[in-house]
Parts: sequence; C-alpha cells; structure tokens
Amino acid sequence: MTQMTKKQLVMIKGTKSGLVLRLDDQCSYAELLGEMGQKVGEEALEGMAEVQLHLGNRYCTDDQVKELIGIVQESPHLRVSKVQSDVIRMEECNRRIIESQSETYVGIIRSGQIVKADGDLVIIGDINPNGKAIANGNIFVLGRLKGIAHAGAGGNHDAVIAASWLEATHLMIADKIETMTDELTVLSESPEMECAYIHQNGFIAIDRLQELRNLRPNLSTFKGGS
Amino acid sequence: MGEAIVVTSGKGGVGKTTTTANLGTALALQGKKVCLIDTDIGLRNLDVVLGLENRIIYDLVDVVEGRCRVNQALVKDKRFDDRLFLLPAAQTTDKLAVSPEQMKELVTELKREYDFVLIDCPAGIEQGYKNAVAGADRAIVVTTPEISAVRDADRIIGLLEQEEGIEPPKLIINRIRRHLMDTGEALDVNDITTHLSIDLLGIVMDDENVISSSNKGEPVVMDPSNRAAIGYRNIARRILGESVPLMSMDDKQKGFFGKLKSLFSK
Repeated sequence: MTQMTKKQLVMIKGTKSGLVLRLDDQCSYAELLGEMGQKVGEEALEGMAEVQLHLGNRYCTDDQVKELIGIVQESPHLRVSKVQSDVIRMEECNRRIIESQSETYVGIIRSGQIVKADGDLVIIGDINPNGKAIANGNIFVLGRLKGIAHAGAGGNHDAVIAASWLEATHLMIADKIETMTDELTVLSESPEMECAYIHQNGFIAIDRLQELRNLRPNLSTFKGGS
Repeated sequence: MGEAIVVTSGKGGVGKTTTTANLGTALALQGKKVCLIDTDIGLRNLDVVLGLENRIIYDLVDVVEGRCRVNQALVKDKRFDDRLFLLPAAQTTDKLAVSPEQMKELVTELKREYDFVLIDCPAGIEQGYKNAVAGADRAIVVTTPEISAVRDADRIIGLLEQEEGIEPPKLIINRIRRHLMDTGEALDVNDITTHLSIDLLGIVMDDENVISSSNKGEPVVMDPSNRAAIGYRNIARRILGESVPLMSMDDKQKGFFGKLKSLFSK
C-alpha cells in the first residue's frame, strides 16, 4: 500500500566471523518475525554459516530470543552463535551492580560462623576449619583459608577463590564442590598464594595466583594507569 | 566491685573444672576474695575437686528460685579463712532451671562482695553455656593440644566474640606433654595460638598429681613445687595484672652442665 519503498527490517551483513543480522528495533515484534522468516528463506547458502543477531535497542524476553534463534535455525545452513542487545532490564542491571561490588570482612571466620556477600568478598584474616565464606562473586582471602569457601554461589561459573594460604577443607564454585583430601598433592606441596577456579574440564582446579590474569582476564576492572 | 571471669572450652574433659578450682585457689592464696560458681547443673563436680562436697546445703537453683539467700548457699573453704567460697550447682534438675538473666543478676550481686567471681562453664554451647557467660566480664578459654579441643575452642571463641559486654577471651593451654610436642605428635603452643589468634594467658603441664589431688579434694596449686601448680600460679598472677614470663616446658631442672650444654646447642 505504501508508496515509499519499505524500510528493511532485517539487514544482513557479512563479516569475517560470519553473518550479522541487524534487526530493526522500532517496528513491532510480529513484523520483525515475519520479515525474518522471509529473509532466512531467501538466503541461498551452502555449508554452515555462523550468525550473530544484533537486537539494537529492542528488549527481548528469553522466550522471544529463543523464538528468534528458532526462526534463523530453521534454515539448515545457519547457526546462531551470539545474540547481542544494547539494553538490559533494571533488575539485571542492579544485580550486576551488586555482583560487581566488593565487601570486606576484617577478622577471623571461626568454626560455625558464616559470612555472606552479594558480590565479591574480601576477607582480611583467616577462615578457620568449619568456618564458611559465601559470595555471589569471587572470594579473596588475605590470610589462611582453612575452612570452606563458596564463590559464585548464584551460579557464576567464572568466579574464583584466591588465598594467601589455600588449605581449605572444601572449595565450592557455583554448583561444583571439591573436598580437599590428601590425594590432592598440589595443595599439600605449596598452599601459598593460590587460586581455585572451574577448569574447562568442569572440575575445580587449583593454580598459582599469578596464573589468574591468564585464566580470568575479565576479572581485572582496573582502568587507566601506565 | 570485683570481676567475673568465665572458664569455658566447648569440649568436655579438657580441664575447665580443674582450672577453675586451681585458679580460684591461687587467687585466694594471693590474698584475694574469691567466689566460685559451678554452673554445670545436673553434673556438678567443682565441689568434689575442692573437697567441699559434704558441706553443701543449698545450691544455685535454690538461690535463683528464692528458697534461700546467696550467703546461705555459699560454701566456705576453711583452708583460706574467709577468702574462698563456692556456690555449688544443683544436681537434681537440669540447665533449663536457670535463665541467663537470673545468672547475670546473681553474678552482679556477688561481684559487690568478692574480688573475683570465677564461673565454671559446662561443656557444650547450649543453655548451660549461655547461663555461664551471661554475667561474665572476662572469659578464659581452656584447650588441650588436641585438634578436637582446638576446633571446639575456635567455635567457642567465635561465640564469645559476638557476646556483648565481655572482653576478648584469653587462652589457657592445658595438659601439655613436653615429649609429644617435641616429637610433633601434639600441636605445639605456637601452632595453637596462631590458629586461634587470641592472647595466651598461660600454659599448664600435664601432671599425674593433678588427678590424685583432685581425688583428695585438694587443688594441686597448693603444692608450690608442682609444675602444674606453677603454671596455675603464674596464670593467677597474670590475671592480677603482673607480667610473668611463660614457664619453661623442661621436665626437670637442669644441672650446671646441662644449662651450659643447652646454651651451646641453641
């Protein structure tokens, strides 16, 4: 009906790392779905292409994101590798702010005591056996960790536990748990300055503190300096 | 106004009652007026260790429930003129017969008349413990060089640190056996104090006479030559504010050559 040429709602761009679908963020969601279906059908491709979806300023619920991915992957030649959006919900934003904050506890966490933090937890002191530190973020102990530490308690698999002296009885990261038995000789050899993280193999691993910058480069929030 | 000190440990059998009896006696020997309170209701034995069992007429629960006045229930130890008294625990009821508020009131009343009120705490962290610490100004944690006792001490220190109106607890390491520490089979004094990170009030060597004197009802501290007694006496002096160096753990007095040898072997 419109005289003007209809604005493209789905722009397709080719990049080195595959196709990028830039989706219009002003039209209705239903319109977008319709055009996506068409475009994906038109694409005549051979082999397999990685697709990134850029949502712009459109907020999609988890179900909508699934729906979009579903439409793209109806084509046997396309696979969605990433969905990117410029907007997040307030809720998630607040959660991220809290998780990126760090709380400090000065003192000894003794047997039977539990210290919890919403974000990172810095403990200046020891965690004695049967004492427990729980954080949604990372746990850093400037002292001896001889008790229990649970980092990424909210499910963050990237969380780490670092201690000046890592002699814990139990280490937990997200939903993984490791009991520090004598069989783990890594610990008994030199418990000084170590960190624990979830290895690619899915188990908790322990390494020198200095390796952390390679293992979790995103941990650094430091800006500037020279 | 005197001071109330609770003697506690978490774990049973590490020597709370023996420590209370000996420190009380040592303080009385130093000329202080001391009152001991046994709060282990249902399992009292401070009276036995002091040899005062058959002089008990009224007990703690009688006082709290108003069946007698405090002075009627106090048992005097005749060996120390008017300086050492015991308020025995009841044996026929349990720890729930007394509340922390009642204990606090009682201890405050006793502090007016005595220089020191020593409170013997029962094992555990339940009602009995809560009663015992309720009125205390200071706390002494007793442990032995065993991991189980140190773990429980850690727990109890954590609880004491959260208690309001009580000074940071001090540590006594009891039943030290020199040869076990030397061979590394028992934790050493340094390990324990670093682990618990509280001030060390003193150490007491393990000695057979502690048991035999308890059975006789005469606290070992009355024998000035006994090595456990020296430990208790030193602790009593530290409680009074003197600075006394930590006793040497050597089993026997070395002769001149022994001293010379140890001088060179260092």
